[in-house]
Amino acid sequence: MILLERGLIEFLLSFLTREELNAFLRSPQNTAALVGGLIAVCGGMLGVYLLLRGMSLTSDAISHTVLLGIVVAFLLMTETFGLEGDTSSPWLILGASLAGVATVVLTEMLYRSGLVKQDAALGLAFPLLFAIAVILVSRFVDDVHLDEDAVLVGEIGLAWANTNSHCFDNCDSVTITPDHPAAKQTRQCVNCRELGISPRDEGAEFRLTCSNCGYYTPAQAFSAGLLEREPLLVFFPKSITVMLVMTVLTTTFVLIFFKELKLTTFDAGLAQALGFRPGWLNYTLMVLVSLVAVGAFDAVGSILVIAFFIVPPAAAYLLTDRLSLMLLISPLIGAAGTFFGYDLARGQLFGVIPVSAGIAALNRLFGLELIEQWDSSISASMVLMIFILFVLAWVLSPRYGLLSTQIRLANRRRRFADQVVLAHIHNHQHTALHKTECRLDTLHKHFRWRPARMRRVMARLRALGYVRVVAGIAELTERGDRQVHAFRQTMLEARNMPDLA
Amino acid sequence: MARAQAVTAVDRRVWLMIGAIVVAGLLIIPISQQVLGLRLTYTVRVVALGGSILGVISGVLGCFAVLRGESLVGDALSHAALPGVAVAFLLAGRELSWLLIGAGIASWLGLRMVAAILQTTRIKQDAALGIALASWFAAGIALLAYIQSLPDASQAGLDHFIFGQAAAIIERDVRLVSGVGLAVLLAVALFWKEFKLVTFDAEFAGANGFRTGMINTVLSTLIVVTIVLGLQLAGVILMVGMLIAPGIAARQWTQSLDQMVILAAIFGAFAGGVGAVISALDNDIPTGPMIIVVAFALVLLSITLAPGRGLVWSRLSQRANRRRFAAQNTLRDLYRYALRHGDADSLVPDDFIRGVADRSAELGLRQLRAQGHVALSKKGWRLTESGIKRARRIDHNDQLWDMYRLHAHALDLPVLQEDRQAPVASLLPAAAIARLERKLREAEGGA
Repeated sequence: MILLERGLIEFLLSFLTREELNAFLRSPQNTAALVGGLIAVCGGMLGVYLLLRGMSLTSDAISHTVLLGIVVAFLLMTETFGLEGDTSSPWLILGASLAGVATVVLTEMLYRSGLVKQDAALGLAFPLLFAIAVILVSRFVDDVHLDEDAVLVGEIGLAWANTNSHCFDNCDSVTITPDHPAAKQTRQCVNCRELGISPRDEGAEFRLTCSNCGYYTPAQAFSAGLLEREPLLVFFPKSITVMLVMTVLTTTFVLIFFKELKLTTFDAGLAQALGFRPGWLNYTLMVLVSLVAVGAFDAVGSILVIAFFIVPPAAAYLLTDRLSLMLLISPLIGAAGTFFGYDLARGQLFGVIPVSAGIAALNRLFGLELIEQWDSSISASMVLMIFILFVLAWVLSPRYGLLSTQIRLANRRRRFADQVVLAHIHNHQHTALHKTECRLDTLHKHFRWRPARMRRVMARLRALGYVRVVAGIAELTERGDRQVHAFRQTMLEARNMPDLA
Repeated sequence: MARAQAVTAVDRRVWLMIGAIVVAGLLIIPISQQVLGLRLTYTVRVVALGGSILGVISGVLGCFAVLRGESLVGDALSHAALPGVAVAFLLAGRELSWLLIGAGIASWLGLRMVAAILQTTRIKQDAALGIALASWFAAGIALLAYIQSLPDASQAGLDHFIFGQAAAIIERDVRLVSGVGLAVLLAVALFWKEFKLVTFDAEFAGANGFRTGMINTVLSTLIVVTIVLGLQLAGVILMVGMLIAPGIAARQWTQSLDQMVILAAIFGAFAGGVGAVISALDNDIPTGPMIIVVAFALVLLSITLAPGRGLVWSRLSQRANRRRFAAQNTLRDLYRYALRHGDADSLVPDDFIRGVADRSAELGLRQLRAQGHVALSKKGWRLTESGIKRARRIDHNDQLWDMYRLHAHALDLPVLQEDRQAPVASLLPAAAIARLERKLREAEGGA
């Protein structure tokens, strides 16, 4: 991981100077947008398959149960193997992905017993694993980086602060041993607590301990004042590396197995019959979901990460019918959401509309006394932004949107009304009843319409030149006649019947 | 007839079990105090009482959620409640009843949004629930973060709604919960017939003039109320477990809705009470998660042990069936071979019977030997007196079934599910059997 980062930085340094790179990475907004964008790309692509397989809520379950994997791995590391607890250690990631698979396996076991329905099995499995994780955390773990709140609600705004330092010049690491000139020795009473005496009493035994001994990386050494020359350092946020690896993994997986994933998603039976292994592909997908969930939980928290899995694919699903396009649109929507979400957290909707104006309006309307300064959780704002984009897609989608559907329906209703009136006139035009059936002022009664609606339809038909009114009686024009016949023809063809008329 | 009687017997057994559990539950508090010397403090008793009451309500409503296949709706609804809590706090301050009303409204709006997405788009239920869950929860988190940035100190502990904070439940909360809970249970009792109908056959209900849309809305509103009441104890994440686990456990023991609901209420009360007491014994064990673990233990117990449906039960009955089947088949094979080679008690070589059906024959021979129907000699197997008698009966029954299959239509016999393990004579009237016997004699005479 460290080597990878170093390679990446060296690559970047061929374009930028060190100062520029450090300044860029030290800006919370840049780091947050980068990490968020990477999460959006991973989640967006995997989520498309989850959505199409009807497994969207599995990501919800997995994102909760990775906590169990993290906690168990953390406890094993610190208690059993005596390693230092570190929330981005590969062991934790391994534990988390195992927990993700365990969730899926437990759900399937419950479901396969035939006694529990599928959704109920999921609803049983993940609260249980999560509950166990919470109990373990509050019972055995006292670590600032690992509590339930941190897992549920991460803060992407702090991603820039958690960095690995890479040194490129003047790299002197320092190791301080007790006989080093800079070592600070303190006397500590060994048996005072046992015997209940104060260090000044007789019988107290002392031991010299070194309070600042140990290994110092160049960065630590410089900030502790142990070095004279400033090392040339680049501070690289850990989250970016983690999410970058996940993105590469996910993209490779989706590209290599595009055909297989497509087949198993849309027709698992056929895939099996053709000799593919839908089960394995499914588990791999779940492992990737767990990996992304655990990679992202630092940044956005385990509940909000599911938004990246579910909402952008759903929005993409409303915009297109093609799988490949969906795989493209969904990450884009997620990335756009994270980009604008940062501004939303800082009080700017789409970078132009200030949120505080909205709060001020609320204050005026309801006589509240809310503070107008809006400064909120960045990760939650990113999700809200993605949701706003989803609502936009829901309303405005050209094919499936609320607006276009309404317009289509209205058009159809209008065309139907036109055809009905034309057919009515056509039926009566050359009969004895023409004068009673087609009188303009009573025409609406034959359709049981309100007069206003009839007037609107007639105005339209006359403007189109299909109908003319002679002495208060409606009759078809030449054009109207042709229109009726054409419509009749299409209807008959649609029913595959010969025209008897 | 026989089946109906069996059902009533099972019915009565479940009722007896329910009665026994209730009595045991009522006795457990004095016993635990007197015998075990377990002194429960006032706080623990309040929390345990609150947990039990919530368990009863969520158990009852959870049954409907489980049966309607809407188990995960509870998950989305509980997450969706969070922004309501935040908004209610901003508008009305830290007053529990207002917070709960806000939570209820937000969660109900979330439900409407899911319905709207389902109606107007092609997105399926799971994704629609996920969208509502994530976006509503994000709104809640954003609002909570905003509230925390306010210079007012009274917001402390508002985020306990995420995890539940059972330890902070006070008597007034329990009173509120029991009052609202009683109203919810009354509503369930009032709409019992409607809920049952809508749950099991909504189309039938609609065809009979019930307003299914309205009944569904009432039912989901009651579920929302239940979830909101439970948030304090279990928190938004674990509430779904608390809602559905008692129902799923209860489902394993019974086939009737009345019993399922009552059992679920009992299981819920048990999980809530016991979980609260366990977590009270150790300060570091949070209450909500402990309740979920207890509830899941009940589910596991029910899935494995429940009579009729449970895993142990079905495994045992499968094994018994396989044995009976193997014994019967082996006996028939022995009998037919023996008849073809002389008399019914002539010797059957071991190779033959094993060659016909290897493992099943092994199983069958062991059974038959234990029952004294066959005897093993040096050269092979020989049917005993009782074995021949039994084989004859089975063979006869088998042939009657053959006759039934051939002539049922011609003889105008009632339609039966063919089950060769069962004696035909017990399934058909005597006159029909007599006709089958005649057919059988004719067939044998002809051959």
